Amino acid sequence: MTEGIFPLLGAAFVVLIVLPAFALLAKAGLVLLERDEAGGILHHLNLRYLLLTGSSVLPLAWFFSAGLHQAEGDKSAYACLFDHEATLCFEPGLFALTLGLVVVFLSRSVLRGLRGARPAHGAGVHVLARIEDVLAKHPRLRALRGRVVVTDEPGFALGTYGWIQPRVFIGVAFAARLSDDMLASALGHETEHVRSLDPLRYLLLQFALAVNPFGRFLLERHAARWYAAREAHCDREAVIRGALPLPLADAIVHAARPTNQQAVALGARDAGVLKFRIGLLLAFAERSPSRCCDRGPSAFSMSLVLLLLALLSPHETGTAALDALHTGAEQALTYLWP
Amino acid sequence: MDVVWSKHLTAFAVGEVLIVLEKQREIAYTTVMTTLSRLYDKGLLTRERDGKRYLYSPKLTREQFLESTAREVLDGAVGGHRAMAMLAEKLSDASADDLDELEALIRRRREELGQ
Repeated sequence: MTEGIFPLLGAAFVVLIVLPAFALLAKAGLVLLERDEAGGILHHLNLRYLLLTGSSVLPLAWFFSAGLHQAEGDKSAYACLFDHEATLCFEPGLFALTLGLVVVFLSRSVLRGLRGARPAHGAGVHVLARIEDVLAKHPRLRALRGRVVVTDEPGFALGTYGWIQPRVFIGVAFAARLSDDMLASALGHETEHVRSLDPLRYLLLQFALAVNPFGRFLLERHAARWYAAREAHCDREAVIRGALPLPLADAIVHAARPTNQQAVALGARDAGVLKFRIGLLLAFAERSPSRCCDRGPSAFSMSLVLLLLALLSPHETGTAALDALHTGAEQALTYLWP
Repeated sequence: MDVVWSKHLTAFAVGEVLIVLEKQREIAYTTVMTTLSRLYDKGLLTRERDGKRYLYSPKLTREQFLESTAREVLDGAVGGHRAMAMLAEKLSDASADDLDELEALIRRRREELGQ
């Protein structure tokens, strides 16, 4: 009984106490960053992303790594988990396994929602040839060469899918409604998503919110603001790299217009965000924007360094927090069942 | 403010705004004067005396103004469960008027800039 309590109570403690506490701290940081009156809500994108995802991912990584580290006991983690003679390392190993299973269970909604658009047949060939022409004419779009997929999925407009090698999907009907200027500018916007691996970033953010029981309650509104600011940032970057602001604005409005096949209702508040993005693009048409709001690709290197630190620190600096959790869980058991 | 920003007006008098607006619709001098005075009161314009008249200047660019209002706009942003990046979310049919209005605004600006 005593042997089994730490893996169960420990994992429950991490998910129900540690993660919400980190989410609360992240919320405090986000509120402070967003309060900055000089457009603070549009800036600090990388730092805000780090707070949104790091508040769940980093403590989980640390506890998972600490569990495996304690499980080693001069043997590999594999041996600890499956060699029944390795009794010393059985409990922390099982704790790490339980924690992993809880994380998979909590993030199942995110995993279920992953799917790409369907490639086109027939009609898409002409659209693809036109897009290749547009890409050839605009060197700033070279990151998209070989990465654009035409889809005949009804009502699909334009979006970027794929975590490691993102691809841009474009609807046949949507592409037909755009002029070449609009198409090039819209692809310029997607180039920023591709360069910054945004689908992967968005996935990690959804995962971070899903695994934290209070994540959505405490951080979802901040995440929604981050998404909106990120889209506005991609518009800005596209214009800085040569996209035309007004054709881009036009393409965005076209993409936002629902078709007859769609029954989507996001509410009028998102229309406010759309108007805001269009307003900024009108401003960019009057006066070229300057770079701001953090460069996208640097977020990954920063996140990776922090993740590595969280994974390696139990091996370097000890696992005192896990030890306290371990003894605490077993003491709790003696109080409950003396 | 739209006229001031789109026509790049700096140190302008009431009459200069009136000339622009008269091309769009019938409007009285006093209406423009009152509006500019209110924009000054709200801190969107600065002004200095030039003989008997005031010369107005915008305090912020359109971009700076939008950034200063970003907080209240993005406060209303709605979350979503997604792991992809769309050019724009599809809006409900109820906002078709909004989209028409935005399209008209962009078209007008494209005509003004000859794009």
